[in-house]
Amino acid sequence: MTGLVRLRLAGFLRTGRALAPVLAGLLALGILYGGGRARPAEAYGVSAVVLFPVLAWQTKLLLDVEPDVQRRLARVLVGPARERAAGLLAAAVAGLGTVAVALVLPWLVGGVTVETGPGDLPVAAGVALGLWAHLLALPAAVALGALASRAVTRSAGYGVAVLAVGVVGTLVLGLSSSVAPWLVPPVMPTARALTGALTASTALLLSAWALFWAVVALSGYAWVRRTRA
Amino acid sequence: MRLEDVWLRYHRRGPWVLRGAEVRIDPGDVAVVLGRNGAGKSTLLQLAAGVLRPSRGRVVDRPAAVAWVPERFPADQPFTVGAYLTAMGRVAGLGAPVADRAVRHWVDRLGLARFHGVRLPELSKGTAQKVGLAQAMLRPPGLLVLDEPWEGLDAAARELVPEVIGEVLADGGAVLVSDHRGETVRLPGARQWTVADGTVTEQAPSEGAAVAVVELAVPAARVAAAVARLRADGHHVLRVRDHAAPPPATRPAGPSADLVPPSAARPDPGPAADSVAPSAALPEPGTPAGTTLSPTGRPEPGPAVDAGIASAGDPMAGVPSPVEPAPVALDGHAPADQAPEVAR
Repeated sequence: MTGLVRLRLAGFLRTGRALAPVLAGLLALGILYGGGRARPAEAYGVSAVVLFPVLAWQTKLLLDVEPDVQRRLARVLVGPARERAAGLLAAAVAGLGTVAVALVLPWLVGGVTVETGPGDLPVAAGVALGLWAHLLALPAAVALGALASRAVTRSAGYGVAVLAVGVVGTLVLGLSSSVAPWLVPPVMPTARALTGALTASTALLLSAWALFWAVVALSGYAWVRRTRA
Repeated sequence: MRLEDVWLRYHRRGPWVLRGAEVRIDPGDVAVVLGRNGAGKSTLLQLAAGVLRPSRGRVVDRPAAVAWVPERFPADQPFTVGAYLTAMGRVAGLGAPVADRAVRHWVDRLGLARFHGVRLPELSKGTAQKVGLAQAMLRPPGLLVLDEPWEGLDAAARELVPEVIGEVLADGGAVLVSDHRGETVRLPGARQWTVADGTVTEQAPSEGAAVAVVELAVPAARVAAAVARLRADGHHVLRVRDHAAPPPATRPAGPSADLVPPSAARPDPGPAADSVAPSAALPEPGTPAGTTLSPTGRPEPGPAVDAGIASAGDPMAGVPSPVEPAPVALDGHAPADQAPEVAR
């Protein structure tokens, strides 16, 4: 399976398709951090929200860059379950790269402050919470991108529609006044939680929620892909 | 490997492409899948290879190492031939040194050495098809599934396909191959599955009624009439081409092979004389009968078109054969009632 993950990452990087989401991510983060300095945890919470659509789009691009017949060749060689898993794993690795850029960027452009007032979290704790927020968003974004991939949607139009509905739904249903926040991954609630004091129980709840959502979405992906090679 | 009551449709409300297919292929067996365009040949092959999952029924005892050569190789990928094949070897689970050795072997064998550093999108169709064959053979397959493997290959490479198939069979593998151009006359002894109206039927081989391939030259102006007459007589016209003297690479082995120029097909021969260039090798008076034959049985000078004809046992009316009852050119044997239906 490692061979297939490598092949797909290489295909993604060599075609130059990786450039578009990276530029979009940098642009969004540039706007985010252009407004002034913020405390790390707070800034990273918003960064995870901004990156959620970028990560989902990046996943869709990575999965779609491979021709359909090549995907089927891989399926014959390694079996359907591993073929699916390798695609998701490649997307997760690419996503981790983007997350790493998002974690480093604010320090380069002066988007975060190291001054801590009374009652503020230490900088290291803020960065750790930022990493946690991004890692909560990543599986959900990979799952959404996978559901929007051509192997599932079979057409570019439906793919974009799934991606757009997923992203808008995550943002809108994630608002504090949402009627059905459980329908979407907790990207917005995580960002809100990071603006104040985060309790352990809230962190645990958000982690479980994000994990559960990703598991459900990825199970849906696996189920649909059974008949869609 | 067996397909047990396999049904398949591509969409929930779509039409059934296959209905209750029941076939079995054992190690050492080769089966040719025949059928019209759109009959479901590729679907059947993809079910066997594990690309598609049956909507109903099941595929059992599929070998662990399956290799699939798709009808069209996906050349739109940002890799060189060498890098792609090595990566596919790794995907197939080969270690780095083993994968490298396998790639070198198949690159040389299939004549891809000078394309090793060429990027896949720059390959011609035939070369890309060879890459498709190479990737399938890197890991010795227990089941080799070939979807129209002769498509786009040059004459020399076409001869390689039966060789490769023979090696897989000798190693105890099974081979499934589809073909709509009659190339499977190169696979004597193959079982024949016909896909039609969603069902798969296997023709029982009829003993002692082999099919022979006869090549004859006819004047270009009369080719349509000749083809029509041969068909009316019940012969299967395999192809019509405009060269009477093809390269020697395809010279068939057979008792009378030395009498006849071997076949070399154009990549896309039409069903009739759609191109009627003058023949390069015209029969001279006194040429052994059977080298080129006119429909009237008389060697004739003038523009000629070669037609490969599968004769189902009975001597062709009006076409004298030099070595009765042996056929003029023997490309292979196959059951009489299943002469490949090509170029109709």
